[in-house]
Amino acid sequence: MPALVSKSLRDYRRSLIRWTIGIGAFFTLYLSIYPNISENKEIYGAQALAKYPGALRDLMGGMEDFTSGIGYLSSVVYQLFGPMLFVVCAMLLGNRAIAQPEEAGTLELTVTLPIDRRRLVFERFVALALGLLAVAAATFLLVWVLSAVSDMGVPADRILAAHTGVFLLGLFFGVLALTVGAATGRKGAAMAVVGVVAVGGYIVETMGKNVDWISWLRWISPFHYYLDGRPLHQGFPVGDYLVLAGATAVLLITAILAFDRRDVGV
Amino acid sequence: MTAVVETEGLTKFYGRRRGLEDLDLEIRPGEVFGYLGPNGAGKTTTIRLLLDVIRPTRGRMSVLGMDPRDPAVRGRIGYLPGELALEGREKASEYLDFLGRARGGVPRERIAALAERLDADLSVPMGKLSKGNKQKVGLIQAFMHEPEFLILDEPTSGLDPLVQQEFLAMVREVRSGGRTVLMSSHVLAEVEHVSDRVGIVRSGRLVAVEDIAALREKAVRRVELHFDAPVPREAFENLPGVRDLKVEGAGVRCTIDGRPDALVKAAARFTVVHLVSAEPDLEEIFLTYYSESEEEGRHARAGVQEPA
Ligand SMILES: Nc1ncnc2c1ncn2[C@@H]1O[C@H](COP(=O)(O)OP(=O)(O)O)[C@@H](O)[C@H]1O
Ligand SMILES: [Mg+2]
Repeated sequence: MPALVSKSLRDYRRSLIRWTIGIGAFFTLYLSIYPNISENKEIYGAQALAKYPGALRDLMGGMEDFTSGIGYLSSVVYQLFGPMLFVVCAMLLGNRAIAQPEEAGTLELTVTLPIDRRRLVFERFVALALGLLAVAAATFLLVWVLSAVSDMGVPADRILAAHTGVFLLGLFFGVLALTVGAATGRKGAAMAVVGVVAVGGYIVETMGKNVDWISWLRWISPFHYYLDGRPLHQGFPVGDYLVLAGATAVLLITAILAFDRRDVGV
Repeated sequence: MTAVVETEGLTKFYGRRRGLEDLDLEIRPGEVFGYLGPNGAGKTTTIRLLLDVIRPTRGRMSVLGMDPRDPAVRGRIGYLPGELALEGREKASEYLDFLGRARGGVPRERIAALAERLDADLSVPMGKLSKGNKQKVGLIQAFMHEPEFLILDEPTSGLDPLVQQEFLAMVREVRSGGRTVLMSSHVLAEVEHVSDRVGIVRSGRLVAVEDIAALREKAVRRVELHFDAPVPREAFENLPGVRDLKVEGAGVRCTIDGRPDALVKAAARFTVVHLVSAEPDLEEIFLTYYSESEEEGRHARAGVQEPA
């Protein structure tokens, strides 16, 4: 493994462990209350949920069918909170690639190593992707085991499809943070951009389903390529995921070119 | 032999702010080049340009005969940043391992030997190191791969005197091995004992490049002589190079430009009981240089004639 990849992973180790525990705790908490919900269909059933205002229901991804395993997973775990936890985790990791060490001053010595600038960005990306993959793999296993234990009746390949989407979405936002950091050297700027794109993208994708004047924006929302294919219901939305991966690749190339051109630490 | 560093019209503006302008500099193989200037003069700017951390606004440069954009050249350089940042829980030894691997491998024993020489503890998390100990780690990483060319930005800042001496010995060893050193400082005293030549920068411009011996001759220094009996003022008046003369009983104080020869010969006629010659101070050397450069001439001469 290239020195910079293993070094970055070593730097990320503690926060990777913390995020795995945190996201795992979130999944555990929500999956452990599922039996309670599935037994109380009169409270959480379709008619009960119909009382919520439409816009709120849209924001929560429709909230149809709370009481089945798939419905519960897709509207509670994989709709908003699960992806957002990954997005925040990936954003923080993405900032540690360039912007954070640049602001701290430690990047100066790194760029004077006999490593090409373009390669430096790429190796930091590899570390980000591997780190995020580790968090995703560990939490996937957890969800899979927990869903089996609580008899949710969701096939493992559907969970894998949804989890892959969460990973790709997280990676996209992580690379977005990395790219803004590579271009500007400011982690504040990276967090602002990720925040706006994530919150705006989520709102556009969910509200856009029923609000005509924003629905045309859905296709530029990263969340569209995760949520629209309904991976828990329909399995891998391969085309959508390829779009996410492709957008990530375009961002990465932008990051590499931007960082190669500019002054470091000014 | 080709120069280790060669720049031509090298210029860096930070927006509209001048960092360095029209630098023509040559550093020769095997020399220790002292790069002197007050804070904000442009020393760090020059060094960051040579290492491709920042890019020139205009001008050309080559380092070890290569374009600094080529990453391979950086493997042949050891660099100590002026503002060295080391942080986190990582131990210094782990960080040095990483830097060594990224530069193609450095034997552990060499790192250990350097650590012992500088009395550095590498088992402490880097975030907990004091400024002086961070500087030691910085020096170790700059020297450990035995680079052809060492670029050290204010290397002695934060080091206690004993470690400074050890560091200077390391620089001398590098030079006797035929390798080249560029070290910056704002204090002449820190570089004069190891440098072969010094360059002086001020406000982004190179004011002078001097052989260190020649610089010493030009230096203004304060001298104080004490005799066993009062001496006549006339004996010391109008001596070449002697200025600001003060004769008080058995004591004589003055500043001399260049050689102290005339003063010593004049003093030899009396019995000298005590002689103090202060190290030439960089500020004053700067002033002599400014008075030679047309632009700042008048201003600087005024400064020389009316010492505070
Ligand atoms: N990142 C920067 N942005 C704007 N101005 C800078 C920057 N870095 C240095 N400068 C300016 O360039 C000049 C030279 O600075 P520097 O090279 O750091 O000097 P030195 O290392 O000799 O103290 C100073 O006037 C300084 O204010
Ligand atoms: Mg400096």
